[in-house]
Amino acid sequence: MNNKEYLISLFESDKPLIIYKANQGYYIYTDFSDKKIVTKSNINTFIKKIFSPRKLRNKFFDGYIGFFGYQTCCELIGIKIPKQKNNSLSKSIFYKPQTVIKMNKKIFIKSLVPNFKSLKNLKKTHKKFYYENKFNVNISLNQYSTIFRKFTKKIKKGETYQIKICQKYRNKSKIDSVKYFWKLMEVNSSPESFLIRDKNFSIVSCSPETLFYKHKQKIFTKPIAGTLKKSSHLSKRKAKMFFKKNIKENKEHNMIVDMERNDLSKICKSGTVKISKLKYVEEYKDLYHYVSKINGKLKEKIKTIDIIKAMMPGGSVIGCPKINTLNLLNHLEKDSRNIFTGSFGYIKSNYDMRFNIIIRSLLNYKGINEISVASGIILGSKAKKEYEENHIKAKSLLDIFKE
Amino acid sequence: MIYLIDHQDSFTYNLAHLLENFDEVYVSNYFKINNSNLKKSSMVVFSPGPGEPKNYPESNIIYKQLKGKKKLLGICLGFQLILFNENGIITEQKNIYHGFQSKINISKDSLLFKHTKKLTVGRYHSLKLKEPFYSKEMNITMRCANTKVAMAIEDHKNKIFGFQFHPDSFLTNNGKQLIKKIISA
Repeated sequence: MNNKEYLISLFESDKPLIIYKANQGYYIYTDFSDKKIVTKSNINTFIKKIFSPRKLRNKFFDGYIGFFGYQTCCELIGIKIPKQKNNSLSKSIFYKPQTVIKMNKKIFIKSLVPNFKSLKNLKKTHKKFYYENKFNVNISLNQYSTIFRKFTKKIKKGETYQIKICQKYRNKSKIDSVKYFWKLMEVNSSPESFLIRDKNFSIVSCSPETLFYKHKQKIFTKPIAGTLKKSSHLSKRKAKMFFKKNIKENKEHNMIVDMERNDLSKICKSGTVKISKLKYVEEYKDLYHYVSKINGKLKEKIKTIDIIKAMMPGGSVIGCPKINTLNLLNHLEKDSRNIFTGSFGYIKSNYDMRFNIIIRSLLNYKGINEISVASGIILGSKAKKEYEENHIKAKSLLDIFKE
Repeated sequence: MIYLIDHQDSFTYNLAHLLENFDEVYVSNYFKINNSNLKKSSMVVFSPGPGEPKNYPESNIIYKQLKGKKKLLGICLGFQLILFNENGIITEQKNIYHGFQSKINISKDSLLFKHTKKLTVGRYHSLKLKEPFYSKEMNITMRCANTKVAMAIEDHKNKIFGFQFHPDSFLTNNGKQLIKKIISA
């Protein structure tokens, strides 16, 4: 079996796998030798266990890849979540791959499993897939407007400066997540896209947002704040002009930049936190984003857990200031965010890390399909516009169900 | 040592890095004060934060205890907290400035910034000082160029200072210079 045939049978099988967008192409991780459910109480042991001083041959990926759910992110920084509607999916799961495939123009495979191409573990799936094309939205425009007014008052009182409300589109479907993922990548291959397919659930996301990338002592974050719907007569240059002149978008963005500087400052050496790229435009299928990049140099003895706690949950999808806004949010939102606004990524055995923010995401679990998006309330924003912005963000995920 | 009291804001550590240019900085939550470090410190800074001064009784007590004994600096909520303890009234403002860059004027009464007239600063506040505000020892030394809202206070007798805006924000030009003036005051 050649590499391509192997890959096709892998995709068509039931085998758990993860796909993660790389700079060019994709990485595919499979043959998991370990699966860890991570919680607040076992995270320190988990992190300790990842470390390995040995270097694997051929620079094989040595480490764990997976996600921290929103609830874990909150619990780690001491935020309690009141009772919410909740599915029973584990809050955070990490996998240790034995086979890693790099896919760009060519396919490269590295595996620690002797017979990884053996057909025995690549049987074609017997699962039946079905796609409903209608969705229920958990918050109507009317309800959204009420929430909006409530928070506008809180902003006026200074209890929060900006808050992001999560909306969910649900239906009953059982999707072929790999097929769905590649369809999504054809139309919207955002830089932090990923897929997790496990036996009983799958997650697909076309996230554009890097929460942080840590290599040795260097770390950077790339917050996004500012969204503009694309149209045929709106060039990237015009989008930049729009953002530049729009006071509301700028205020929202400024706040996020200062907040992310703050989060990096918790873990970085004094004087090393710098904005390396301020306010540039990135182009996606249905929209433009306003983005900044901030760098820092980590303190000498900083612990991996401290980095995670300082950065998660990513500020740009919560609001500001983080702690009080999280408390306000958690009391307002009746549905658990589940994976949404958690973080997906990897921790290597030398503690290098890459994590994104899970947004524009789909969770398929127990026959229920859940697409989550969020947009921000600040003074000067309008309920109807923000409500519609949520729909633009969900569009590329929703459209695939109509095909 | 500078003691920075954090009111759980998302900008506190920007301020910490700014202060670290001049001295060792100790940061703690407002409800977890380390008394021996507080005693040791030469200056105490009240951080920005959500809500209003009366939500933070612990910090108000510290202010009253340390007034006249240590140099005190308040930023944003911290600025309002100082004024609140000096019988000022903190109230909602019409136009709200969150993530807003604006121009402010420095008054002639300012002893710290004699040679500067205007500043460009970053602001994150819903509330403001209600005026008129009377104090024997405390002067309002900066105001918003548009709305005239109070932006800085100086009390040289008790060595108490405050900024309504954020010297720590990337929107403030030369925030380091502003802190330097306070340190050497």
